[in-house]
Amino acid sequence: MKNRPTTLLLLLPAALLVGLLFVLPILGVLSLSVYGDSGFTLGPIRELVGSRVSLVVLERTFWQALTVSVICVVLGYPAAFFMSGLSTKLRAYLVYLILLPFWISILVRTYTWIIILGREGIINRTLAAFGFSPVQILYTDLAVRIAMVQILLPIVVLTCLASMLDIDKGLVKTARSLGATPTQAFVKVFLPLSLSGAATGGIICFILCLGFYVTPALLGGRRSILISNLIDIQVHQSLNWGFAAALATALLIITLACLALFRLLTRGRTEFSSLGVGR
Amino acid sequence: MVNLTRRTFNVGASSLVLAGLGARSAAAQDVTIVVNGSGGSLAEVIKKLFEDPFTKATGIKVRATAPVSLPKLKAMVESGNVEWDLTELNGDDVARASEAGWLEPIDYALIDPNNVLPEMAKLRDAVVRASYSTVFGYRTDRFGGKAPKSWADFWDVKNFPGPRSLENSPKGNLEFALLAAGVPLDKIYPIDVDKAFAKLDELKDHIPVWWENGAQHVQLLVDGEVNMTSCWNGRISPLKKEGKPVDISWNGGALMLSYLGIPKGAKHPTEAQLFLKYRMDPKASAEFVKIIPYPGFVPGMMELLEPEFVATLPTAPQNAAVQFRFDSGWWAQNLDKVQKRWNDWLLI
Repeated sequence: MKNRPTTLLLLLPAALLVGLLFVLPILGVLSLSVYGDSGFTLGPIRELVGSRVSLVVLERTFWQALTVSVICVVLGYPAAFFMSGLSTKLRAYLVYLILLPFWISILVRTYTWIIILGREGIINRTLAAFGFSPVQILYTDLAVRIAMVQILLPIVVLTCLASMLDIDKGLVKTARSLGATPTQAFVKVFLPLSLSGAATGGIICFILCLGFYVTPALLGGRRSILISNLIDIQVHQSLNWGFAAALATALLIITLACLALFRLLTRGRTEFSSLGVGR
Repeated sequence: MVNLTRRTFNVGASSLVLAGLGARSAAAQDVTIVVNGSGGSLAEVIKKLFEDPFTKATGIKVRATAPVSLPKLKAMVESGNVEWDLTELNGDDVARASEAGWLEPIDYALIDPNNVLPEMAKLRDAVVRASYSTVFGYRTDRFGGKAPKSWADFWDVKNFPGPRSLENSPKGNLEFALLAAGVPLDKIYPIDVDKAFAKLDELKDHIPVWWENGAQHVQLLVDGEVNMTSCWNGRISPLKKEGKPVDISWNGGALMLSYLGIPKGAKHPTEAQLFLKYRMDPKASAEFVKIIPYPGFVPGMMELLEPEFVATLPTAPQNAAVQFRFDSGWWAQNLDKVQKRWNDWLLI
């Protein structure tokens, strides 16, 4: 912060790029929710508040994001913990394995789930071989959730792992030498120190979930669509861009509110200070 | 002219067209028109049969873009930054675009100087490009040798069990529901929306997935994800030829038209109309239909095709007789309201 003018100058190219190509167009889109053909209007916002379908979809988006993030953290944290105890070489191989699906396009990974979950897919064929009748997994909320977890899990694992590797292993050893059982050392020393990584992973996961589009569109049924899909319907089918903009505004506000809430919850907690969000 | 057969007349007319276009080539050398279409394999065929020969004859280059999108047309016209010179449009899109003033009027004196296009093919600001049908397709191996014959059978989950799919749009589906409820073909319009939704209620829980595009309904049927689905006629015949256990029924199908129109404020409207005129060539159109079975109304085209093949087209008399003409006008007027109700009905 000492070299303020120089710092600002360094920021300028990125800020200009983001400002011109991202912030300005977004403001343009958002303004559609309050500006119609005849100037200022509250019509789209009133439509949003009065529309049951958008409230239902907003609520569903929120729950879907929450459950997916919780599942990701519950699955990702132990995996990261396991990896943090390995040798550097072995860990590098595992990180590579985790990144491998991450480099494959979301679209391809989503399509793969159709092959696995479909009525003539791997799961149902196996069930049929044992004499069971096919179960409808594809085109349900469950299918969307499974695929979202698979897509987002690498992010959570890697975020958890990064924070765990930052922890001074000497602290755990010290706790043990002072008489703590392995469980105590984990719960009282390691867990609190690694929580920031888990929370960051969970929050990133949650925010990414809020904007998911392809996965619910391809794997979900009519009751699985999320807010992005509803915006798409308003843009492409109903041509109701004001309403679409109002929905987009709502999505943005909810996302920002989630970030603010996270900040509030973690205020003053030292374990989050490394993120710069807890202060 | 009267003594000529239609066929020789058309061949003669199209060579006149070519000669006329050729004369313009010197002036139009540096012009590139942007023609927006559906993309994919369709675009390749159009390029080979229409665009490349057109460029050769006139010097006007053609750049093809995709996909067809009414929102994009709206954005272009409203922002004044019109990239397309010509675009494909579905029937109800034409009605909405025309009403909103997003299209240039067509100069029929230029594109149809001998007045041979049937009236059905001509709108003030769009020309029919193709006709296709939304019919129902089914797996022939799922109903113990029985074949569903009507939309009533499509709704009959007892005799024809298993999951189905329909398009995620009220367009067409309300009509199919009315047919399933016993409304005769000529009494569909104006649509009794309440009655249609009540009938759709019966089938709602048997439809795990509502398709969004043509590729998807093909996949659903071929993968065995559903036993029956509404579909576009042209997508299923190639599968049937490949020996896949699928078939369609024309009964109660929706005969739909797709159009070509010039966006308001297009940069090269005259050259776009010359290309439109070129698209009316019966020989090239016949070749086109052999590959993509969506015929337009180009006079003289059907006479160039085998009768057995004509029988597989949506506009063949025996097929047209059991279908209804999809009423774009009704939908343009009612879509906003019905779409809102559809979303509420489907998504909650």
